[in-house]
Amino acid sequence: MSARRVVITGMGAVTGFGFDWQSMWMQMLDGAHCIRPWQPEEITDGSFPVRYAAAVDMGLLPAYLQEHPAWRLPLEKRSRYGWVAATQAFSDSGLQAEQLRDAAVLCASGAPQHMLADMQLALADEAHAGADWRHLMQRAAEVQAQGSLRQSNDRLAQVIADDLGCEGPVINISSACAGAAQAIGNAFQMIRRGEVEIALAGGADSVLNLDTMGALYLLGAASSEQRWGKDLCRPFDRDRSGLVAGEGGGFIVLETLERALARGAKPYAEIIGFGSSLDAYKVTAPDPQGRGAAFAMQAALRDAGVEPEQVDMINAHGTSTPLNDATETLAIKNVFSRGDHYQQLAVSANKSQFGHLIAAAGAPEMMLTALACRDDRITPTVNLHHPDNGCDLQYCAQQAVSRRVDLALSNSFGFGGLNTSLVVRKYREVL
Amino acid sequence: MNGSHARQVYLVDLALLNAAGSSPSDRYAAAQPAQAPTFKLDRLARPIATPRLAIDLFERKIQRSVEAQGLRLLHCAARLAPALRDLQLPAERVALTAAIPEVDAPSPCWDAVEAIREQPHKLLGQLFANTPPLHALTLLNSSVMAYVAEGLRCNGPMAGYCSQSNAGIDAFIEAVTMLTEARADAALVVSSSPNITPALYLREGTSYPDGTDADIYGEGAAAVLLATVAPLTAPLVIRVAGWGRAYSARVERAAALAERVLEQALSTERVNLSDVELLVADERDPILRELFAPAATPRSSRDLTGDLGASALLTDIAYAIGDSRHEHEPRSRYVLLMTRSRAGHCGALLLEIAKMEKGA
Repeated sequence: MSARRVVITGMGAVTGFGFDWQSMWMQMLDGAHCIRPWQPEEITDGSFPVRYAAAVDMGLLPAYLQEHPAWRLPLEKRSRYGWVAATQAFSDSGLQAEQLRDAAVLCASGAPQHMLADMQLALADEAHAGADWRHLMQRAAEVQAQGSLRQSNDRLAQVIADDLGCEGPVINISSACAGAAQAIGNAFQMIRRGEVEIALAGGADSVLNLDTMGALYLLGAASSEQRWGKDLCRPFDRDRSGLVAGEGGGFIVLETLERALARGAKPYAEIIGFGSSLDAYKVTAPDPQGRGAAFAMQAALRDAGVEPEQVDMINAHGTSTPLNDATETLAIKNVFSRGDHYQQLAVSANKSQFGHLIAAAGAPEMMLTALACRDDRITPTVNLHHPDNGCDLQYCAQQAVSRRVDLALSNSFGFGGLNTSLVVRKYREVL
Repeated sequence: MNGSHARQVYLVDLALLNAAGSSPSDRYAAAQPAQAPTFKLDRLARPIATPRLAIDLFERKIQRSVEAQGLRLLHCAARLAPALRDLQLPAERVALTAAIPEVDAPSPCWDAVEAIREQPHKLLGQLFANTPPLHALTLLNSSVMAYVAEGLRCNGPMAGYCSQSNAGIDAFIEAVTMLTEARADAALVVSSSPNITPALYLREGTSYPDGTDADIYGEGAAAVLLATVAPLTAPLVIRVAGWGRAYSARVERAAALAERVLEQALSTERVNLSDVELLVADERDPILRELFAPAATPRSSRDLTGDLGASALLTDIAYAIGDSRHEHEPRSRYVLLMTRSRAGHCGALLLEIAKMEKGA
């Protein structure tokens, strides 16, 4: 088995910043965030405890995307975002449709909230009149209309494959907030071992509905803090109070370097390692010693065949929850302890700028890591004014950082302690 | 695909739960009558009772907060705990991959959400306060992975899949590559079928090919423990000799796609279909019947278990292992497992199974 080099040649992102990765990248370098006031549609008196989110703003939809079929077909909004992001990534890659015939599609699309939401759409009157949910389930069986109600959770992966004519493996990922990172990691591995030559990998998610935000609030994960207004997402800050949800999607095109060069594509960056782990601690909290997170980073570095001292930057999971940010910092310090290398690392938390995209989070974060390697520019961790006790890394607070980035890690840690880490290298044709 | 790895993979133990029973040999028994679900009287199904969890491994409250499909999965995973313990491996060398169905049954958390809808003017805090937080996790299908990891002490690599009936093959392939690439020394592969609910039937409608509506769904779960160290008692050596995966929703592409996947699975080992001694696949699938004809006829235990969705692949592996020839003629033989999902996924797995002598 000869290991092949795997490069990123296309990217597409839909976030609160807009419908392409370029607007996300430029605004984030400028230190902007897209978190705004938010309430579920059903709650009209403003009493929902979670008050802010980074929603996709349809007002930013560019003219050239207004005719995209995603907006016309009966799909959940997360599938729409994901489909558009995948289309953008394909377009960005410069590939021709016939070159995708054997491509794999790997997709994380989050927890299957749609059955409930769709039934409410389909049976709106009954739902709002207070019908019992179990009865709704029964009545849904009587609904004759064709629509998103009948779609399975892996619909997005199928839609993308159908639209782009991909007939390779189509794989739907389920690993909570590590989902998109697992999709990218698995795609990287499939290409490296020769199973496929091209893959489209990423995810899409939207938890901006009453059901899921209610659940996240119940879990104590979502912030209901009002002190800071829309600046409440504060990774590593002493005043952080929980995650702020975002929504959107992100996909990247991965292919063998050989194939990319043969068609004249210019890679953004190279993926060289992937690692994952399980906390095996508590479903609702990370291992306080950060062992699981450390295992994932160490596994990724081992897989890449690089030493910790070679790493310049970490794109942190950085959720702005009290537990994650403390344990992630601890894990980083443990993994990069030799020669106190952690003091040299630049650590950036993108969720401070576009919220937590849950299952999709790893995809745009991977793009920003790749762009940091390409441009030697690191997006900032905004709203970080007073680093918490123990949070003593270089977090790129408030302002983008310019520094050489040859090697970077992108961390994604999911609910229940499902951890992933990807290693990205600045692209060079000859090593 | 890749099958020529240096590290050998052994099947240490497996656990099953479905309408046919709980051991591989049950897959060769006579079928019990299926029954019509109360909400779908024109169809037959093979549901099973929700199992009780082992309280020495899992917290008691999990029994109340996890949905039936998750409980089935946890029940099977728990049965592998003694074999995993016997391997005496560090937790960070134990991997976990999962084939998980999506969640669509009611959960207590949604009761709170519905209460909010009904009484939007009541204080939300009070309504939320009455809902146990753990129930919110029911909304997250991958939370069962966390319970398995916690209960059985797995800190190693992980992967979760949710691609309907194809998720099993994704989870199994990933587990095997984790072992052969030395990312782990043991791997738990866990899977569960979806719950038989109205939603399961609703999903048949739009994206699936016609002609499959007569399927009988079953409920069940299956889990296997793989390792790179041979267990002490009469181990089965399982070598993944090849695999293939592809997808197309176009019905007219189904036959060509299945042929391509079969070729992929056989090509690494450079074997022909005639070298395969056991073909395990849905014997009623017209595409697969035609693919294998006239050389061979696929067999499976679907008549006994119903369609088990995400847990079908591991159940099929159990069926293959339960073949009495492994016992009576202990030598290496090829087994081909093939799956097709309603959505258009197609997967094939070529295994070389050999029964080792005790102490070998």
